[in-house]
Amino acid sequence: MRENDVIVIGGGLSGLVAAAVAAQSGKKVLLLTLGAGTLTIGGGIVDVLGYGDEGVSLATPRAGLLEVGPEHPYKKIGPVAIEESIQFFKGICAAEGYPYLGSLDEMQWIPTAAGTLKPTCLVPKTMDTTQLNTAKNVVVLGFESLKDFYPHLITKNFKNIPGFQDKNYEMVMIDPGLADGRDVTALDVARWLDTPEGLQDCTEKMRHVLTPGSVVIIPPVLGTRPNYAIADSLAQALQCTFVETAAVPPSITGLRLRTMLLSYVKKLGVRIVEQAAVARSIVENGKCTAVVTAGIDRERTYYAKAFVLANGGFYGGGLVAEPGQVIEPIFNLPVVAPEDHGLWANPDLFSNKPQPFAQIGIAVDEKMRPLDGDGQVVLTNVFIAGRNLQGYDFCFEKSGNGVALASGYQAAMSMDREIK
Amino acid sequence: MKKHHNNPDSCTACTVCIAHCPVTAATNQFRGPKMVGPALERMRLSQEDVEPSLEYCSNCKNCDMSCPSGVPISTLNMLARAKLFKTRKHSKRDYILSHGEQAAKLAAMMPFGAALANMGMDMSRGILKMIGISDKAPLPPYAATSFIKQFKALRQQSYPDKVVFYPGCFINYNDPKVGMDFVAVMQANQYEVIVESDLVCCGSPLVVNGFLDEAEANAKINIEILKKWTDQGIPVITCCTSCGLMLKQEYQELFHIEGVEEYAKHLYDAGEFLLELYDKGRLNTDFGTLNEQYMYHAPCHLRAQGMGLPGLELLEMIPGLKVTNVDAGCCGISGNYGFKEDKYDIAMKIGTPLFTKLKESGLSTAVSECGTCRLQIAHGAQVKTLHPMTLVRRSYEAKKK
Repeated sequence: MRENDVIVIGGGLSGLVAAAVAAQSGKKVLLLTLGAGTLTIGGGIVDVLGYGDEGVSLATPRAGLLEVGPEHPYKKIGPVAIEESIQFFKGICAAEGYPYLGSLDEMQWIPTAAGTLKPTCLVPKTMDTTQLNTAKNVVVLGFESLKDFYPHLITKNFKNIPGFQDKNYEMVMIDPGLADGRDVTALDVARWLDTPEGLQDCTEKMRHVLTPGSVVIIPPVLGTRPNYAIADSLAQALQCTFVETAAVPPSITGLRLRTMLLSYVKKLGVRIVEQAAVARSIVENGKCTAVVTAGIDRERTYYAKAFVLANGGFYGGGLVAEPGQVIEPIFNLPVVAPEDHGLWANPDLFSNKPQPFAQIGIAVDEKMRPLDGDGQVVLTNVFIAGRNLQGYDFCFEKSGNGVALASGYQAAMSMDREIK
Repeated sequence: MKKHHNNPDSCTACTVCIAHCPVTAATNQFRGPKMVGPALERMRLSQEDVEPSLEYCSNCKNCDMSCPSGVPISTLNMLARAKLFKTRKHSKRDYILSHGEQAAKLAAMMPFGAALANMGMDMSRGILKMIGISDKAPLPPYAATSFIKQFKALRQQSYPDKVVFYPGCFINYNDPKVGMDFVAVMQANQYEVIVESDLVCCGSPLVVNGFLDEAEANAKINIEILKKWTDQGIPVITCCTSCGLMLKQEYQELFHIEGVEEYAKHLYDAGEFLLELYDKGRLNTDFGTLNEQYMYHAPCHLRAQGMGLPGLELLEMIPGLKVTNVDAGCCGISGNYGFKEDKYDIAMKIGTPLFTKLKESGLSTAVSECGTCRLQIAHGAQVKTLHPMTLVRRSYEAKKK
């Protein structure tokens, strides 16, 4: 019988981090994924905590961690493990040759393609804003026929942001020569730059419009691969500092992050089954022994000593909302939700308050094990990570990838201690 | 996952499929899976909507695999293509590429037919190019003796445990050795192999070119024959991953044929079947040592089946054998897509990362389940290729020596 030490359900950030932690400690890990997760939709950055409960921006992510409520995943995980998870993540990035910047003691305010600033914690080097923040003159560089990145919109909105009001903006455009075909996305431009010819062509075109020493805001187009070869090549050839913005999907920075994490876990020997729709579990005496996938042909059973459930929330299918109740379909775990489903949503969308539905999820102990209504552990060898956790509105407080990272790390670490 | 209803409204337009589509990466003439699939399907449901770039979809299924919302995007594209050809004529090129089975049958009926046809194919490459088949495409030659003929001449040891083997066109007419290796492997596991000679092409090459009605007719023939066995609980096994995907999944997504769900439960990829034997303690693990090294390419149509990479896992059990997953994405060929004059360059561009990694490995032979992947890899990376079953057979034989 083929048996695994650990099965991780879900291939998003929390699942990949959990798989990496477990595999690094020598466990035989099987990763079951369905779809490519949301990394390629999100921004490829790790938000830890940007805003407090009242929507007020925090001085640092660490300052916010002290103030979260008792049900918040960060409260369960604790500051030590959160700090460790960040070091673990940065270690992966460094090992893969795509180091990230940032720490809990510093809020990164990164520019977006809408001309706003967004708070985050860990960013790739291409989103380092150190030079941008102090620059007097800023160039906003767009690409002809690229949708969703308009230098005039960005410049106009920057003029309303304290600290950005007094800068001088210059808008320039270059033509990637991609107009002959479909609507152009940042992914198309990034793929153009992936090729040696495209990079050379782009360098020459930029040389005509950029003065050495400029700080240049660009869409996320500096290659699709998780390294800085293209960013470094352009910076060196043109003697400019480039800053990639957060932008709409498909997310190039997210694609790089996913590619990097997959590469890392595969090197550690993590086995991956794609299109694995986990439908149910087999539980004996409070322990899960196996999970079962429902393929279009038949069911398949996968055995392990411990399981990490990291298959997302409502969007990823980890939680399913039905009239009056929310279901966790694989283990049928208790889900904490207001009984009156009229209270799930705050109909006042722009009230600057968290949404109740976003906080619906699975209650866990400090080891990330699922709890019932009486606070008792339901299953001793199942650990929860990511968007299916109770008690946080990632959209409102800007904490999505931070909770995914810290809970994925904590789930795998406590599992590691349990099954030794 | 289980209940497929091809609902375009499950798509949230998140664009993950665009980031994972190999054709989108290779050409900006394709508007991408999200737009051509679910987005335009909403239009097509109310009125005819002809999207010229629909022809660029290769049905490789990477969009389906990446979708977080379970939309069978490529199947929506295939259904749209079929709808288009309800009122339009197919090209000669698409007819020929979709009906390889007929040509192969003709060649197999004549004495020396395969050899003559192969000679003819070499000479007629100019004509094929005129109708739109690339003169550079790695078209497969016919084998001198088809699998069915070789199988009939073989004297098997009889065992109470039996499996039905579905060879598919490529193994039957072009690469019968894979089928014979599979039979030898099953015999080494004390299984008797049954082959039904009335089975027809699975329909995969028909579906991709919009011959949906013919594909459905084939599906009905195959299901009727195979159901006689699966109803008795006898497994049906494929070595070709595209045949396997068609028989178990696409039949369910594309057609409404009674009993298909029950029948699909008994369909296995050869590697997966052997691994299940292992799990039951029933696999012959008397593997002989093979001190050899290979790169392994996972066909997209295997990855799409939700069972991991069983062939690779099986090869890892053979002592001495070192097999590395090249893990460089789609090879580009997608059945007959890369044979087409106007798609050849796209297919080669898609496969370039794979070819580059294979060449960099310095190894002379690559392993993969899919027949057309193997053609494309041999063509693009200039290496020899093998099916995993060939290595499993050799390992058993190495032990006997």
